[in-house]
Amino acid sequence: MVQLATQLVAQAPPRAKAGLPRATARKTLADTWFSQQGWKVFPFQREVWQAVANGVSGLLHATTGSGKTYAVWLAALNQYAQPPALPRSTTATKGADVSKRAAVTQRAAAAPPLTVLWITPMRALAADTERALTTPLQAMNIPWSVGVRSGDTSASQRARQALRLPTVLITTPESLSLLLTRADARALFVNLRLVVVDEWHELIGNKRGVQLQLALARLRHWQNALVTWGLSATLGNLPYALEVLVPQGGGQLVQGKVPKALAIDTLLPPGIERFPWAGHLGLRMLPQVVAELERSSTALVFTNTRSQSELWFQALLDARPDWAGQIALHHGSLDRKVRDWVEQALKAGQLKCVVCTSSLDLGVDFLPVERVLQIGSPKGVARLMQRAGRSGHAPGRPSRLTIVPTHSLELIESIAAQDAVAVGQVEARLSPHKPLDVLVQHLVTVALGGGFRPEDLRTEVTSSYAYRELTQEEWAWALAFVQHGGGSLQAYPDYRRAVPDADGVWRVPDAQLARRHRMGIGTIVSDASVALKFWSKGGGGKTLGTVEESFIARLKAGDHLLFGGKLLELVRVHEMTAYVRPAHGKKPAVPRWTGGRMPLSGELSDAVMARLDAAAQGHFDGPEMQLVKPLLDIQQRWSALPTQHTLLAEALQSREGWHLFVYPYAGRNVHLGLASLLAWRMGKLAPRTFSISVNDYGFELLSATHIDWASSLTPELLTAADLLRDVVESLNAGELAQRRFREIARISGLVSSGFPGAPKSNRQLQASSSLFYDVFRNYDPANLLLAQAHHEVLRQELELDRLTATLLRLQGRALDLRQLQRPTPFAFPLLVQRLRESLSSEKLADRITRMVAELEQAAGAGGYEPADQVRERTAFSAEQPQSAPSPRQKPSRSRRGRAARSP
Amino acid sequence: MNHQFALDVAGTRLMLLAGKAVLWPEQHVMCVADAHFGKAAAYRALGQPVPGGTTRANLERLDQLLAANPCRQLVFLGDFLHARASHTSGQLSALQAWRRKHPQLVCTLVRGNHDLQAGDPPPALGIEVVNEPLVIGPFALRHTPAAHSSLHVIAGHVHPVFALHGKGRQRLRLPCFYHQSGITVLPSFGDFTGGHAIDPAPLSRVFVTDGTGVWPIDR
Repeated sequence: MVQLATQLVAQAPPRAKAGLPRATARKTLADTWFSQQGWKVFPFQREVWQAVANGVSGLLHATTGSGKTYAVWLAALNQYAQPPALPRSTTATKGADVSKRAAVTQRAAAAPPLTVLWITPMRALAADTERALTTPLQAMNIPWSVGVRSGDTSASQRARQALRLPTVLITTPESLSLLLTRADARALFVNLRLVVVDEWHELIGNKRGVQLQLALARLRHWQNALVTWGLSATLGNLPYALEVLVPQGGGQLVQGKVPKALAIDTLLPPGIERFPWAGHLGLRMLPQVVAELERSSTALVFTNTRSQSELWFQALLDARPDWAGQIALHHGSLDRKVRDWVEQALKAGQLKCVVCTSSLDLGVDFLPVERVLQIGSPKGVARLMQRAGRSGHAPGRPSRLTIVPTHSLELIESIAAQDAVAVGQVEARLSPHKPLDVLVQHLVTVALGGGFRPEDLRTEVTSSYAYRELTQEEWAWALAFVQHGGGSLQAYPDYRRAVPDADGVWRVPDAQLARRHRMGIGTIVSDASVALKFWSKGGGGKTLGTVEESFIARLKAGDHLLFGGKLLELVRVHEMTAYVRPAHGKKPAVPRWTGGRMPLSGELSDAVMARLDAAAQGHFDGPEMQLVKPLLDIQQRWSALPTQHTLLAEALQSREGWHLFVYPYAGRNVHLGLASLLAWRMGKLAPRTFSISVNDYGFELLSATHIDWASSLTPELLTAADLLRDVVESLNAGELAQRRFREIARISGLVSSGFPGAPKSNRQLQASSSLFYDVFRNYDPANLLLAQAHHEVLRQELELDRLTATLLRLQGRALDLRQLQRPTPFAFPLLVQRLRESLSSEKLADRITRMVAELEQAAGAGGYEPADQVRERTAFSAEQPQSAPSPRQKPSRSRRGRAARSP
Repeated sequence: MNHQFALDVAGTRLMLLAGKAVLWPEQHVMCVADAHFGKAAAYRALGQPVPGGTTRANLERLDQLLAANPCRQLVFLGDFLHARASHTSGQLSALQAWRRKHPQLVCTLVRGNHDLQAGDPPPALGIEVVNEPLVIGPFALRHTPAAHSSLHVIAGHVHPVFALHGKGRQRLRLPCFYHQSGITVLPSFGDFTGGHAIDPAPLSRVFVTDGTGVWPIDR
């Protein structure tokens, strides 16, 4: 098939638009430009040029900074661009500002119509991409225009684009969908030849990717010969990623073979605690981190949460006040302008170090970055490689990443991650399976963009990968839902969003509905956020960024908070804006943001398990394992180490009751599912209540009444039979589904997006999604969006597939149940985890100090840390994200309110 | 069953009912706050799909309350209709049918903020509409819970809810009566109205209800 298509295209006359026939013998534009630059063409780049010339779509996989952009971009120029017949004077444009705004206007008049769409997952990447794409155009005097369209695009530029789109449009999935709502959408894309999807690995696994899949199906419906190319960094399932992007088949997978050195190591603490708990080691590593930063020119310090980035930034400043102005903070809740400034300064090499979150994971080339520090475990192999790739971001330069463990057990995670990278054991990402909320949104989008006939649109929608298994019933339901709200007319009186006109074409009948739909397009759902502004007389001053409403609601006027690296005092909250002023003092609260916590990935879990298995057999290879040996020794002395053939469990009786600790090492989501399942199945045999605590390594069940674990742990408890039913019943699945419903309600248009400064009329439409959830459950229980919520909970939050696989694997293992006298190093973090739920941080500190002292005494010589240091760091640890199964749950006020950085 | 709670206040006795209403037995007056009739209809009219049936269910609950606690007068403490778009024929005919079932009942609405936007209910419903406060005996009946110089205030507006925390991360958010010196705030009567979590002041009392019982909260 592919071969045939190739030949056909190769024989077809070239698509010459400017009138000049393509000179086949002549050097291609790509060759010209590469030789102008003095660059050598990599084979993979030539491969892409050839494929595009043959009209073949595909996926290009190469490490970050290896020249992916030019592989695709010059392929496009080769195929679709014509250099001007006569060399024009280039003096006017040569020295011209290549900035965003200028390019479009200068060339708009002569430029060909929209030919290439360049999809980027991040608005922040757009400007960089524009610069990269513009350079060869100017150098070779190609009369193409380049434009950006994203949420950041100014109104005036939008207006210009409304008249005529540039030859190359750089845009996001959301802005592309927005273009599809235009009544003249089809005409806009009539000359489109190529769609490039940058950072496809960032989109494939989420609903934004599904939104893009639907948009691509639409574009392909209009342009049969449309060529699609995805650019991707490391993924565990490349052929799959290609299939999702090019579901019609015939796609070509191109592997970039640029050797790129990836050096990963661990910042080793001088010693370890034998009784670790999450976050404990955190800031103790500060002096070493400072020393590392001193040695490098420009570094990125990645943290796993925004709160952690605030704390580390502040701690670095406290440690090195002379670095003020040379170090910066970057996370997704900071104001756009601040982030832009940081990115520019980083690129210009003006910064020594930026403390950041996943906000800097993606694309933008920060050439000066020499090395990367990762605070805490990266939790996943792909994430680790992505972050490592942020340094040495140019072909041939090495990437260097150093993991800074924040507690003793993360030393094992760190060396395991290195193992996984070495053998290329990378996580796969799967496309969501027919999410109906995205489909419902798309139906309204298409109804606006010229309207649709259901039978045609169904063919188009099911041609996308995500909806290939959409049933007739689901399709009919989605149609009925936009037409009159639900399966039955009487259930939703007076409601309609899209309806068929006299000719059977579905359209949106109401202009106000159309406006609201355009405003709400997209699949990114964030918590209700409050703008943070400086207080000044007569109105708000500079905007600092956003914090979640739930955080600010817990603060009183006069309370202090840490944000954007500044100590602030809350002045007042008014209409979704919190006004603050600079403050001085000791104990600020650090905002917490929900979401973004990744469980230990399956690949990394396996690698950790392999290391533990080796340790159980007496192999402690590598400095990390040597360092963590005292901890593992005690674990082995008091209990055992888990191996690949045994399932370690520990029973302990304490004042609190009867504990059971189990260590499947399968990530916290799976453990939550396992623990609930076990508790529920045991409760069915004899009624009792358990409290549950989970982390990435295992879980704890605690019963207040006597239980003989040895006789209770029967193989039937771990059977995979009736798993789905039992998991649903065991977890308060309703509550989890309610949280998931929030996102679904937003995307499908049930809940309007609340945003600061929204007009009153919009606010009247805001109701909490939990309210919607209840009203749907009570009055329209058959609503498929509810079913989707349940499905997503099982699949995403509980990782049902992984849970099933884990259960099957555990069945093949022998249960190794140990009776404990006192908590082991593995059990201790789980104990602390649960105590945190019930104690304020001060009480917790006292309690942990005492516990560690007792355990150290029992463990004998070899301990590293004097126990009296515990107390001072408790404040920091309280700031560590809880391993709560649900980010929406609100821990007690006392704990959050006192969250403070180390004095 | 603890389907009501007796509260001695202003020299008389009030019954906090599990049906999210307050009864003053002495004069056979019942108060409900924040019914927000037609809220779902208003959403639908503006393009948000919300299933129908909430108004009917609310009216049925009101019928049950009146059957269990026969009274002379029913006072709506504001926010009777949710929005202007709530005046749909379906809504009004449902309300009309309900009103016809209780011809002897004196119905009074103390205007609330939503009523100002939504407009008064049509006269055909036979509901007397007044501005706050409505003084009855030792009580000032209002929509907003603002103190009165001499009388005890019974009000709504806040939609108070209170979160209970239990073992094993259990958390239960329930509508509640919120009683402070001089003011008793009712939970919102309507389904689909949502709630505002209160942070109880010292010396205040909180009574949660799940629709079947009323429980005083010890703090």
